[in-house]
Amino acid sequence: MALVGAQIKRGSAEFAVLTLLANHPLHGYEIAKRIEQQTGGVLRFDMASLYPMLYRFERKAWVKAEWQTLPNGRRRRCYRLTPSGRKQIAPLRAEWRAFFQALQSITGFQNA
Amino acid sequence: MPDWKQKVRKNLRLLAACSPEFAEQVTEELSGHLEDIYEDRLQTGMMEEAALECALNEAKYCRGNWLAVRLLKEDCMTGFTGKIGLPGLVTFAVAMVIAYTLEALHIPPKIIFFRDSLFLSLPIAWMCALPVCGALGAILSSRNGGSRLDRMISASFPAAMFGVVFAFVFIVGCVVSLFVRGYWQWRFVAWGILLWWTGYVVLPAIPLILGATVADQIKRVRGQAA
Repeated sequence: MALVGAQIKRGSAEFAVLTLLANHPLHGYEIAKRIEQQTGGVLRFDMASLYPMLYRFERKAWVKAEWQTLPNGRRRRCYRLTPSGRKQIAPLRAEWRAFFQALQSITGFQNA
Repeated sequence: MPDWKQKVRKNLRLLAACSPEFAEQVTEELSGHLEDIYEDRLQTGMMEEAALECALNEAKYCRGNWLAVRLLKEDCMTGFTGKIGLPGLVTFAVAMVIAYTLEALHIPPKIIFFRDSLFLSLPIAWMCALPVCGALGAILSSRNGGSRLDRMISASFPAAMFGVVFAFVFIVGCVVSLFVRGYWQWRFVAWGILLWWTGYVVLPAIPLILGATVADQIKRVRGQAA
């Protein structure tokens, strides 16, 4: 399966992570794993792209992170979307919808 | 089981430049990530050596120093530096560029003379441009998660800097006057400082904070509309 280019991936990363976190809090590895699973491996985030983004979200107060102890005794840092972060999703969704519609009108392919 | 924290530290040597708390937090979080990869691969039936290889590859693939630099940037941009320091300095720099441009264009401040050679300098054209600087400071601070107070402090940074400079001049003058008899006439000094403070600190702070407030309102309305 073709992997998407770096530029598109970078632009879509914020949207994908915020949307995932809108459902429930997750820690870094879970976020990367779910994105990879749900996109059939088309989108894949390594540590280098994921964690700086999560820290940036935290700095902007879009997410709140807290350490949690898992049942196996390990500590993981879980990221929870804040109301401010939730507000970011709708404009991003509108932007991506407009982008895909524009692309579709040019290329003519469906389900862009 | 390998020491994951040691693997992270080895790959991200530049983390040592971050604050100790941040470096420790990142090390623990990334080592947990590597550990999860390793455990996951084992659960899928992979041999221990291969699972270890997968996790270590992730650590190598993350381009250690590049990641560390990005994390260092995030560390620097958190707290005072990102919320007040940098936005404030950018606001001050832009305000100074505007001031020098106005001077180059021969647009002088309005001078109001009082008796005893005292005068009030009013940089009206500069003050007209200051709402833009205030808005810039508030936006930059807001982008780094600054609170309302942080945004207002960042916005009013140019006025605050002038305040500090005038206070410094005042203190130096006071110290010199202790040694040089008749160096200052206190009544003039008090009035002079008060007038300079009025023209370059108090009055400019108003358009700066006004600009920040307008930027805040626009952001709030946009947020509500979204």
